[in-house]
Amino acid sequence: MSIPAVATALEVRGLSKHFGGVYAVENCSFQAPLGQVTGLIGPNGAGKSTAIDLISGFKLPDAGTILFKGRELEGLPPHRISRLGLVRTFQAPREWPALTVIENVVMARWDARRESFFQGVFGLGRGQRAAAAEERTRAREIISELGLDAVRNERAGSLSGGQKRLVEFARIRMAQPELVILDEPMGGVNPVMGERMAKAIEGFIATGTSVIVVEHNLPFIERVTQHVIVMAQGTVIAEGPFESLRSSQAVVDAYLGEVVSDGKA
Amino acid sequence: MHEALLTLGFGIVTAAILALSAVAFTLEYGVTNVANVSHGEILTVSAYAAYVVHQRTGSAVAAALAAALAGGLVALAMYLSVIGPFIRFGATPTVIFIATLGVSFIIQNFLVIGFGAENVAYTIDPGAPQNIGPFLLTPLDERIVLSAAAITLALYFVVSRTKFGKALRAVSQNRELARVTGINATRVAAATFFLAGLIAGYAGFVLAESVGTFNPYFGFSFFLITLTASVAGGLGRPFGTVAGAVMVGIILEFAGNYISASYNLAFAFAILAIVILVRPRGLFTNARRTVFE
Amino acid sequence: MSAYLVSILTEGSIFGIMALGLNVIWGWAGDFDLAYYGYVAIGAYMTLVLTIGPPVPPAEFILGLQLPYPVAVAGAVATSMAVGLVVGLIALRHLRGIYFSIVTLGAVYVMYVMAGQYVRLFDGYNGLSGLFDPMGDWFGFDYQTYQYFFLGLSLVCFVLVFLFMARISSSRFGMALRTLREDERAAAAFGRDIYRLKLKGYVLGAGIGGFAGALFAAYLSAFNPSAWSPVEVIVLYSAVLVGGRGNIRGVALGVLIMGVLVQESTRFLPQIPNHPQVVLALRGAIIGLVLVLFLRFRPQGLLPERRYIDREPAVEPAPQAT
Repeated sequence: MSIPAVATALEVRGLSKHFGGVYAVENCSFQAPLGQVTGLIGPNGAGKSTAIDLISGFKLPDAGTILFKGRELEGLPPHRISRLGLVRTFQAPREWPALTVIENVVMARWDARRESFFQGVFGLGRGQRAAAAEERTRAREIISELGLDAVRNERAGSLSGGQKRLVEFARIRMAQPELVILDEPMGGVNPVMGERMAKAIEGFIATGTSVIVVEHNLPFIERVTQHVIVMAQGTVIAEGPFESLRSSQAVVDAYLGEVVSDGKA
Repeated sequence: MHEALLTLGFGIVTAAILALSAVAFTLEYGVTNVANVSHGEILTVSAYAAYVVHQRTGSAVAAALAAALAGGLVALAMYLSVIGPFIRFGATPTVIFIATLGVSFIIQNFLVIGFGAENVAYTIDPGAPQNIGPFLLTPLDERIVLSAAAITLALYFVVSRTKFGKALRAVSQNRELARVTGINATRVAAATFFLAGLIAGYAGFVLAESVGTFNPYFGFSFFLITLTASVAGGLGRPFGTVAGAVMVGIILEFAGNYISASYNLAFAFAILAIVILVRPRGLFTNARRTVFE
Repeated sequence: MSAYLVSILTEGSIFGIMALGLNVIWGWAGDFDLAYYGYVAIGAYMTLVLTIGPPVPPAEFILGLQLPYPVAVAGAVATSMAVGLVVGLIALRHLRGIYFSIVTLGAVYVMYVMAGQYVRLFDGYNGLSGLFDPMGDWFGFDYQTYQYFFLGLSLVCFVLVFLFMARISSSRFGMALRTLREDERAAAAFGRDIYRLKLKGYVLGAGIGGFAGALFAAYLSAFNPSAWSPVEVIVLYSAVLVGGRGNIRGVALGVLIMGVLVQESTRFLPQIPNHPQVVLALRGAIIGLVLVLFLRFRPQGLLPERRYIDREPAVEPAPQAT
């Protein structure tokens, strides 16, 4: 199925990774359109998380190409990929627990100059202080927008699962990457927060960040995505808008294996 | 060539003692996932126990038994009072590592209070060296190697054939799963520590009498070499550890010929650093690693 | 002021500097480094070989220059940082947790064995001596007055290091270090070069340790393997842990408690003849016990890490185009 000529945020070609003889990801190829929310779904063991690890530099691919903003990402360490504008979250919320919410958000942006040892320690000039103040103001705005204002000064580790996810989202808004990959953001989150999370994701698009969402929660995928990619057994088996996939035999088969093993009809 | 074989022979004796200590350490690690830094102190306390008993009774056999028993009790106490509670409390392995370092410090200092920091001379007549095949060993050396082999075999039997051994292996592999199948993980761990302590205690006795002197710190230095052997063999795998011990023991003996023996410790660490950097899962496994993988 | 009080306060200041350096590596970057005391020792040894002049045979040691004390201190700090860089380059690249700690323990034992066995370095077990009243001749102090001078110098150095640490703590560099401790993966996902950042923190910590060592050498006027032992790093760790890991005021408090109070509490015990080490050993046992108890019941220490409280009024979100 060919995708109409839309600019792509990310292109993956022939991505492969094996662990001790078993292929977790095998010849996986897809494109994520720019300015949209793309879903990445599939049964357990389909290789979705491995694919994300490969794209974001946390694992080294055995083969394949990852194209982002005209650059090839294979082999780059995670921090370099992040500095290029590709940020990801993890299956479990990974806030910085001892830091407060606002500290978490402020530190989402890597500032090469101000974080270097000499600048960081001795840079007390007016330019530095102005930059710091502006940053804090921006952080406060984002925190307000996501409804976290009440816990602004709390240590992030003491928050609930849903609040931690929102802190992660605040961090992403602060960092303003071109692309964010969300790894099961609804995991461990009370379903009533679903709409808040969906609105936050819409906020990403509105501020110029394309989104890829990996999720098991299919209603959530239906709610937020414009384009969905389905993986099974390490490779892409179908893609298109969510409604079109419901009738795709390949997708049904892939999930059927999972449903049967759950013991449901 | 003859000289190389002689060195090999001595290496085997070192390896035998090292193997006992390392296997005991690996048992402790396997069943709790904790690197017990105070392991060396089991040997030290046992050496003192053996010495005291030997002074009183004049019997080496009684000393050996006292050492083993002391070792078992000390190890059990370590588990019951520190390691077990920390695990139940949910501490990370690093935190427990730090705690056992603290325990090591405490025990060393108590020994200084009780016995003073000076070297204690402890010798048993080794007997005249005899030619055993290409090697030159004293009867003492022979006893050391034979008893180490016997203990290792006995341990192999216990771990692979008995019900307790099965429970031990289950807990080592997956504590939660073992619990679910009805195994009392805590009791198994405690018993394993006692067993490991018996072996380590005997090793302490053997080490003290073969070196000839000891002091409150001698177990800790030996522990560092023990650690090298255990990591080389693969932490948590008792029989890889034996292979690691043999390797390290022989390497150290050969190195001791070319570099002064007092550099032993530094050399052991060079080996340890190389192993950890190249193959942290041990030399006999296949696992790769990066910081994130 | 009694001579005893002067020496306690001087030692306390030096110990405080050591603890602050360790706090950078463990309190902020989160690495349980067992090589730390080695950097202190290197600082002490290097200060001596740069100030006591050429060796008189049969003593043997490297360098043997006679530089002014401040210059020697700079050289000592630079050396500690260099050695720290080497150890850090190896240990921080791929290792974390207990593997990292074990490799650093190995590194410090190598240093310890070399210092004692490789006589050509620092005259082996004899060690080095002869650094008497550095900078005393500048001002023409007599022995008595010099003790006060050195106390003042140590206190000033401690305060300077403390202020330096305070600056780092509130700077972005310091916060970046703490993100490494809190969650490395997230830090990498948000652009931090973990290896480089940890290295910077490690070398900084090593340098501060070396600085403390330089002062320590002047305090003792000598240094040899019996003056230090790698395991004594535990005393530093207990100070940092008890006071409050990551919090520099906590570290200062921890030094006060462990260094000074423990010392005081055992001062009144009689010295047992023929066993002078007993009191020292008792102190050691108490410190170890306190460490284990705190790890179990109060791992955050007495003073938890400070957080930045943002007191500005809440900001209304900017109007969003729907």
